[in-house]
Amino acid sequence: MKERIIFGYDPFVIPFTLGVIFIMLYLGTGTLRILLSLSRKEALNLLRSIFSVKIFKTIKDILFDVLLHVKIFKRNILLGYMHASIAFGWFMLIFIGHIEVILYTPQRNGVIYYPVFFRYFVMETSQTLRGAFFFFLMDLFLLIVLSGIALAIYKRFRSVRLGMKRTTRHKTGDKIALWSLWLIFPLRLVAESFTADISGGSFLTGTINTLMGRFVESTLYMDTLWWAYSCALALFLFALPFSRYMHIPTEILLIFLRNAGIKSTSSRNGFAESEIYSCSSCGICIDACPMSVVDEKSNYTSVYLLRKLRRRKLDSLFLAEQCLMCGKCVELCPVEIDSCRLKFLKKRENFPDQIFDYNYLSKKHPEFKSSINRQDREKVLYYAGCMTHLTPQIYKSLFNIMDKAQIDYSFMDRDGSICCGRPLILAGGERAAKELIRVNSELIIRANAGILLLSCPICYKVFKENYSLNGVEVMHHSQYINLLIKQGKIKLKKGDFSVVYHDPCDLGRGSGVYSEPRAVISSAAVLKESSNLPAESICCGGSLASRRFSQSERESVTLHSLEKLNINNPEKLITACPLCLRSFSKLNKRETLDIAQLVEEQMI
Amino acid sequence: MEGDVLVIGGGPAGMETASRISDFNRNVILIEKERELGGHILKWDRLFPDGVPASDVNNNLKESLGTTKVLLGNYLISIEKREDYHFIAQLNSGEIIKCSTVVFATGFKLFPAQKKQEYGYGLYERVITNADLETRFKKGDGLGKESPKRIGFVHCVGSRDEKICNKQCSKLCCITAIKQAIELKQLYPDTEIYCFYMDLRMYGRGYEDLYLEAQLKYGIRFIRGRVSEISQDQSGLVIVKAEDTLSSRPLKITLDWVILMAGIISERENDFLTQQLSLQLGEDGFINSVDPIQKTNQTNISGVFVTGSATGPKTLPEVINEARSTALSVNEYLNRVKNG
Repeated sequence: MKERIIFGYDPFVIPFTLGVIFIMLYLGTGTLRILLSLSRKEALNLLRSIFSVKIFKTIKDILFDVLLHVKIFKRNILLGYMHASIAFGWFMLIFIGHIEVILYTPQRNGVIYYPVFFRYFVMETSQTLRGAFFFFLMDLFLLIVLSGIALAIYKRFRSVRLGMKRTTRHKTGDKIALWSLWLIFPLRLVAESFTADISGGSFLTGTINTLMGRFVESTLYMDTLWWAYSCALALFLFALPFSRYMHIPTEILLIFLRNAGIKSTSSRNGFAESEIYSCSSCGICIDACPMSVVDEKSNYTSVYLLRKLRRRKLDSLFLAEQCLMCGKCVELCPVEIDSCRLKFLKKRENFPDQIFDYNYLSKKHPEFKSSINRQDREKVLYYAGCMTHLTPQIYKSLFNIMDKAQIDYSFMDRDGSICCGRPLILAGGERAAKELIRVNSELIIRANAGILLLSCPICYKVFKENYSLNGVEVMHHSQYINLLIKQGKIKLKKGDFSVVYHDPCDLGRGSGVYSEPRAVISSAAVLKESSNLPAESICCGGSLASRRFSQSERESVTLHSLEKLNINNPEKLITACPLCLRSFSKLNKRETLDIAQLVEEQMI
Repeated sequence: MEGDVLVIGGGPAGMETASRISDFNRNVILIEKERELGGHILKWDRLFPDGVPASDVNNNLKESLGTTKVLLGNYLISIEKREDYHFIAQLNSGEIIKCSTVVFATGFKLFPAQKKQEYGYGLYERVITNADLETRFKKGDGLGKESPKRIGFVHCVGSRDEKICNKQCSKLCCITAIKQAIELKQLYPDTEIYCFYMDLRMYGRGYEDLYLEAQLKYGIRFIRGRVSEISQDQSGLVIVKAEDTLSSRPLKITLDWVILMAGIISERENDFLTQQLSLQLGEDGFINSVDPIQKTNQTNISGVFVTGSATGPKTLPEVINEARSTALSVNEYLNRVKNG
């Protein structure tokens, strides 16, 4: 391969080179800012994760998530192919471009623009082996990228075909970046094709060159086309920081930080910043969000919140307060952005901490019968919480089950409870909830029980995550019933009716309890599938997190969720959360039961 | 079977409409799904405001039915309007009825109080509904031989409550609660009685007097505030938690009995019939009149009439008057279609 241009320079490379310098400076500053904002401990963790075997996981994640987009493939093959072809194809073009430079024009090593415009600067014929090999590879990857671009253009107009009902609305920056991205590769194709008779080409560029040669004198347009290609690249690079495509470079940093176990501590800065910039605005969360059944509410989904946070808009708080915090968007996010945490942090930052009066707490000191002053592993302390107090049939059934199994239990909040603290935490009052947590912890530890039994997943999550209870095991009643069945303390007969199980958000996605309730139900009835995967169950509409949902909007969410649950026509709906039970039973035409009620009915 | 008019529902509205139409020498068929005529008042002991026995009213209504053909234990399984003005209806017994007009006197349903889960109806023995209390009065049981210490009435159970999808006011329960509270006080003079209400709608003649009498003469206490939850203590008594919004204080009280004033909701069981005739229903499930002021008993389908509480909660005198006016409208309609 010979250099065609003696100095290895032509003015058309200027726009591109400026673009690259700009974006490198931008990314460098951003990365530095984020790294500097890390606490000492986080920075140490980051270093540890880089200089240990963890680095292999990081590399694997980068390969799978950033280049191949495996997660999107799992959602929809076409959508996955679109992302993977553009990302991986483009990466390979750059990568092979560099290899070509290293191998054939080592004197140009380190010249930014050289690998990108390699074909302009060299002369070669495809008759030689190396020409045939590299040019074939380059043409192949260019074709792959072009097929991805074609799909992307198609998706803009018919997104449903790629498995998406709704996509995000674009801002000006997004539009410029998008159009230039669409232009880059067709321009590269034409530019390289027009040069192919000089610098060589393969099945794609070579063929086009031969075809074109019949109509136009290719060299006439050559310079113009390389200029256009360089300008399109420059336009894209300059628009990048102001567009959704920023996720392409920033996701790498995010993966490094995440694998070091770093979590966001503010809703905008530090780790959050790398999350916010890594949002690709793909819009998968819009379809995923249970709010989206109410049309205008789809404007409050995570993608729009992240956009508001990125632009430091004041109304991001309003959006955060809309969220039902069911966590489904986090589950489905291809970049794994924990947007629920950002919303929670946003609310926490704006929470008025001074207005609380805890005097009433000192009056709540229920006496327990237990006289032994040492912890009894078998003893159960039951805490109903506010929600289960509103659905007394749940604890009534549970008590009947425990009586049958001859369990020694006491009812911690028979005469009214101190709140578990989670509603306050969800509203942003994490500090305000500390006092409730302290008093509750004291009461629980003083009871000397081995197991703290809960019926409400909302309580379950907070007792698991925010309490330290001296080794008291925290269990949800679906887990405990499963334990009783395993120990043979209760026996069920399997009914011949069919049921479907709704995973409550805080129990399933929130706490990872999926298998125990299913095991219990399977031994009591015929369990049918709903139309969602367990981890993608839809909020019942009753969530305590949102402060901005009217009753009728909640009903739309409930009905949507019911429709998906009842798709296989089960006779009954089983859930394991008092709040879900309340939301569903008022609108479900079929019988709605808590798992404890089902077990009580089927107990022998 | 053939007839001029098919009246669906043998409660007060249906009976009165049937008897008044048969006064015009029309051929009326009245169907009732239960084995006995009377509808809700069958279960009721005495009626507000003066305490007239419900059975007297029912008997009077039954006696005036005249030539009406009454089919008990029958209900419609389908109905269809033909090209001409005739309707063809099929009963559960398999019988086919051909008629010229149809009157919906399908009434209402009492809100199933177990749906308001936090009140524990069906779980706690001492939480009963207004209808349960009437049944007890009718049997002469009251609330047992021994005088209870404290009784609470909870107003608006299933009424004016978006949370359980019923927004409408049931209209009758305020005065019913006061009537029942006075009756209990007459039975057990030493019992303390509390009424938990949002606001009291004493709109009828004599109602306000009864409300004042309940306070002054009987010492019934009215607490403004909704009950948030009811639980049971170990001895089986019920604990009511509420907020006294007039003194802005939360309140917790142990009661011997709680009576839930279950509200009036639409009889959703007939939705398939209204659908077959394409009748318009309101958001609340009650049938819509074609004009809410002057044509309250006509529907959007000519030849289909509606009377009584099938269009919303109504008191008995209102129902009886409306039934009579429906009879007139039906007669006019029949004259029109039969003569021209």
